[in-house]
Amino acid sequence: MQVYLPIAELPINMFMVFGMGGAVGFLSGLFGIGGGFLLTPLLIFSGIPPAISVATVASQIVASSTSGVVAYWRRQMIDFKLAWVLLIGGVLGSAFGVWLFGILQTVGQLDLVISLSYVTFLSTIGGLMLFESLRAMARRRSGAIVTARRPGQHNWVHGLPLKMRFYRSRLYVSVIPIIGLGAIIGFLGAVLGIGGGFMMVPALIYLLRVPTNIVIGTSLLQVLVTMAAATVLHAMSTQSVDIVLALLLMVGGVIGAQFGARMGQKLRGDQLRLLLALLVLSVGVRFAVNLLVEPDELYAVDAAPILEPAK
Amino acid sequence: MTGRRLALPRFVLRLVPALAVLAAALALAGGAVRAESLVSALSADVVRIESNYTGTNIVVFGEIARDAATVGRPDAYDIAVIVSGPETDVTTRRKGRFLGIWVNRDSEVFADVPSFLAVHTTRPAHELAPRPLLEEHRIGLRYLNLRIARASNVPIGDRSNFRAAFLRLRLASGLYAERYGVIDFLSESLFRTSVPLPANIPVGDYRVTVYLLQGGTLLAEQELPLRVAKTGFEQHTHWFAHQYSAAYGLLAVLLAVFTGWLAGVIFRRD
Repeated sequence: MQVYLPIAELPINMFMVFGMGGAVGFLSGLFGIGGGFLLTPLLIFSGIPPAISVATVASQIVASSTSGVVAYWRRQMIDFKLAWVLLIGGVLGSAFGVWLFGILQTVGQLDLVISLSYVTFLSTIGGLMLFESLRAMARRRSGAIVTARRPGQHNWVHGLPLKMRFYRSRLYVSVIPIIGLGAIIGFLGAVLGIGGGFMMVPALIYLLRVPTNIVIGTSLLQVLVTMAAATVLHAMSTQSVDIVLALLLMVGGVIGAQFGARMGQKLRGDQLRLLLALLVLSVGVRFAVNLLVEPDELYAVDAAPILEPAK
Repeated sequence: MTGRRLALPRFVLRLVPALAVLAAALALAGGAVRAESLVSALSADVVRIESNYTGTNIVVFGEIARDAATVGRPDAYDIAVIVSGPETDVTTRRKGRFLGIWVNRDSEVFADVPSFLAVHTTRPAHELAPRPLLEEHRIGLRYLNLRIARASNVPIGDRSNFRAAFLRLRLASGLYAERYGVIDFLSESLFRTSVPLPANIPVGDYRVTVYLLQGGTLLAEQELPLRVAKTGFEQHTHWFAHQYSAAYGLLAVLLAVFTGWLAGVIFRRD
């Protein structure tokens, strides 16, 4: 069944969008990720203009992270103080990202920046995760005991000034890396249409040594608020949030996520991470191929929007 | 006050050449023995885009009216129907290799090109009339004048490539079309053609122009307005998104939070 998207100005198969939302939702429930990095490329490859894909996925991420935040909040597994500090950076980064997004769009290099960033980040993160999960699997096979958190150990991050105490995370650390981390994730979220949870979680665990049980809820809250800000900013600057597309993706996504989460409990952590790493890497490779192989059509047309006379 | 007093004569002055042309045209028409005229109409004045819109057809029909002054001519009548959408500047970009990757490099901006253009003719456009006439009335995609909007870095010799690529892409997207032999004559003077409007047509004010040609000369023409508009929910959403963009963004966020929260409640397990 075709449904006309009022902002994208084209009809699209409703069940296809619903299915994409559901499939990505399933994976996000399975791996505990937002899935923006999968959904945005899927929409772009299925013919939705990149600007609309990125802005609309931002609102979809709000929906998928809300249900997570509610669940973690109930179990009191969110460090609100840490989330707020991350958010200061997140909103700044996201505003800068939306601003740059508009400029790149007029210059005609938005697609390139989106592709290049996807290749860079997804290959890096995917590669690191692949390496880490393979090592964990090898370690488990050899019977060694794995500990994620080593409280006594400090790295360069802990030597920075402007320290602040985070009671919930039992942390005493400088706010500079926290704001910086929030800003980078917010920026990438706005430009690439990704929540950035898959980068935030390892950074909080390995860089800041936040306890693992606090990390996911806090990161989800941060993603929620940053993406909400990105949605509003995109709506204001480029009017590219398509609410009909967003709703279809949200409904598909939240349902898929429930089945994914159930499935995820049956798999082991390192197996999940290995699968996720392969998934992330393959999306990165897909973008790389697009950039490296000579395209069939070298030309592209992009028209200035037609302003409808006000009624 | 002074501005108003000045504006009026300037407006009148601007009208003078137009009036002169009109007078000349009338004089010429009176002198010639061309007495055919066109009476045409559209199946609808407004194409409404609703949530189930997946494209439609607009039927253009008309009659070639002759009067006593009409002289019999050996050539058959030719009809050309042009449907053109709102005009806008269009950037055509070309990818080139840069440090091993394919990026947008050269671009050419064409000014005021129709966002939609369908040309229906009785015979291939080039058989209808001499080139200047075809170019003036955009009869045939080949005769579409693509004016360059601003100074570009594309060498003159390369420009035809951009032009050809632009037309090729527009044809591929269904926004431009050229068809001949698609005008049905129901009688000697009654004709009809059905112009498909694809799913991705831009909204705005369209123009449908019907030309009556014979033996390479233009006998009559008629222009009909056509409006493509979103209606109901689609129109309101688009209007809301552009007029109150901040509120629209907030609404999208609220909708997302509500959906997420609802899912959390429905699927709650603990």
